[in-house]
Amino acid sequence: MSETLSKLEAADFINRSFQPLPRSYGDALMDAALEDPRIVCLSADLTPPTETDRFRDELPDRFHNVGIAEANMIGIAGGMARSGEIPFVHSFCAFVTKRCFDQITMQAAYPNLPVKIVGFLPGVATLLGVSHQAIEDVAMVRSVPNMMVLEPSGPQYHAAAVQLALQHDGPVYLRMKRPEKISQAPIEQRPLAYGKGVLRRDGNDITIIAAGLEVDEALAAAELLSKEGIDPAVVDMHTIKPLDRDLILERASTTGAIVTAENHTVIGGLGSAVAEVLADAGMGLPFKRVGVQDHYCEGGTTSYLLEKFDLDSAAIAQACRDLMHRKS
Amino acid sequence: MSVSVNHNLKEYEQIATRLRLHVVNMVAPSGQGYVQQGLGAADIFTALYFGEANMDPANPTWEDRDRIFLTTAHNTAIFYATLGERGFFDTDLLTTYVQDGSPFEINSCERLGAFVEATCGSLGQGLSVALGCAMAAKRQGRNSRYYVILGDGEMQEGQIWEAAMLAGAKGIDNLCLIVDYNFVQSEGPMDLVMSLEPLNDKMQSFGFHVQEVDGNDIGALLNALATARTTNGKPSFIKANTTMGKGVSSLEGLMFHQLRFPKAVADSARAELEAKLAS
Repeated sequence: MSETLSKLEAADFINRSFQPLPRSYGDALMDAALEDPRIVCLSADLTPPTETDRFRDELPDRFHNVGIAEANMIGIAGGMARSGEIPFVHSFCAFVTKRCFDQITMQAAYPNLPVKIVGFLPGVATLLGVSHQAIEDVAMVRSVPNMMVLEPSGPQYHAAAVQLALQHDGPVYLRMKRPEKISQAPIEQRPLAYGKGVLRRDGNDITIIAAGLEVDEALAAAELLSKEGIDPAVVDMHTIKPLDRDLILERASTTGAIVTAENHTVIGGLGSAVAEVLADAGMGLPFKRVGVQDHYCEGGTTSYLLEKFDLDSAAIAQACRDLMHRKS
Repeated sequence: MSVSVNHNLKEYEQIATRLRLHVVNMVAPSGQGYVQQGLGAADIFTALYFGEANMDPANPTWEDRDRIFLTTAHNTAIFYATLGERGFFDTDLLTTYVQDGSPFEINSCERLGAFVEATCGSLGQGLSVALGCAMAAKRQGRNSRYYVILGDGEMQEGQIWEAAMLAGAKGIDNLCLIVDYNFVQSEGPMDLVMSLEPLNDKMQSFGFHVQEVDGNDIGALLNALATARTTNGKPSFIKANTTMGKGVSSLEGLMFHQLRFPKAVADSARAELEAKLAS
């Protein structure tokens, strides 16, 4: 019993596995910080859940836990960036965008400072409920001038996302999801090119443009559809701003129909951004946005929530089928 | 109209033990959760919901009820246990806690019912809402009181101080803040992150009537709440010092924001609380 009691502290509230999760992002940030002494790390009382505990322990003089105070954190980061540092600020997506949006616009974006805003718990994917679910963050942050918006599709791209964030000489919002389980093999990091979406699956009939955890759902949907004789392409649109306009227009021309999939409200996020590109180019074609349909959600396990709110592979596949009917 | 229920101290302590037993039973199935905070705050919830506050479980939207805002919205096991025991719903429903589809979510949300006065999982916002309700009640000439159960870590949010400044400046005396001072935030002991001290001096300088009590002493809490009720011209601040894990000997004083709660530990906690109830 006493032996059990000594081990009762749980790491954090994303990790419910009781085993150390990989820190693809946190390790990449450490690597970057060792290369570039300007990088500093800020946390608002959520250090292990944002994978920054290594940074805290190994580079303590470049780590600042500012307490549960996100608006203050953004202002501090602006000051540090004005002083020649590159601050990476961390919290959950909801808190590091919505709580401090005005501070982001005035103290990071308008002066075009290299403040890198890093959020975890994207979209609906959390047990922690509506207060912790960021379904409007991409729409808000995408509207901010000078801002880059990144949403890698999995931990294998987290190191590349850090590099892209550093390549952008200005403010960045990096929206990420931690893996929920430990992986047997180490996560091999894959590269990403600045402003270029990744064609993860080629196909001739329809293109699914997805970001974040919706990329895996889109790939699963493509597998389902291929058994029905539909041949979809899947684009991993890891950079929502600046958006890969050329790739969108090329896919629109070659496949003639587009479904977007995002872990976010369909208003203002990836789907809206793709629609803007198509409309600006004067292209009318069968088009559908998979995402949260303009309502609030609730807490739950990720698989439950994706199914309940029509964000899973089945919902994406159905959207594709609907468009295939309209194409013919 | 049903108002507060008066019990003797022994009865209050029995109620708090029943609430603690619910906390244990609710968190045990998932093996992880806010056990320590729930056990620690059980006496505050008992004093407020079963002693001080005027409310009518049969009519949760009763206009003249006292409102209680739980701004540490993650401390839900004790919150739901309290609401159930107070009669707002059948305590059998507590078994759905944190299950997919259940409104008994880990962060409380007003979709559960009107007795969740606001959705406060994003820290630091509830005090402003309570203040707005309290100011409206004053203008409308209603006698309701407005209680806010705040977390200590949460007081790092700037919005808390904006609200406190206004409440003090305007002398909103139907407002009472109770800080559940367990000294632990997500990353550990508060002074490792950022100390709030001297907290009482800060609140006093903001215009609050300040009391400090043992937050696990129901009699002291009831007295402090009664004093707050009769204090005119100033909002009240009660610093309630609580011990995490209070009431379960193996957990008392373990200062963890998130506790692993393996079956063996849950079973022994349950046995201890059941024995206390039977005695």
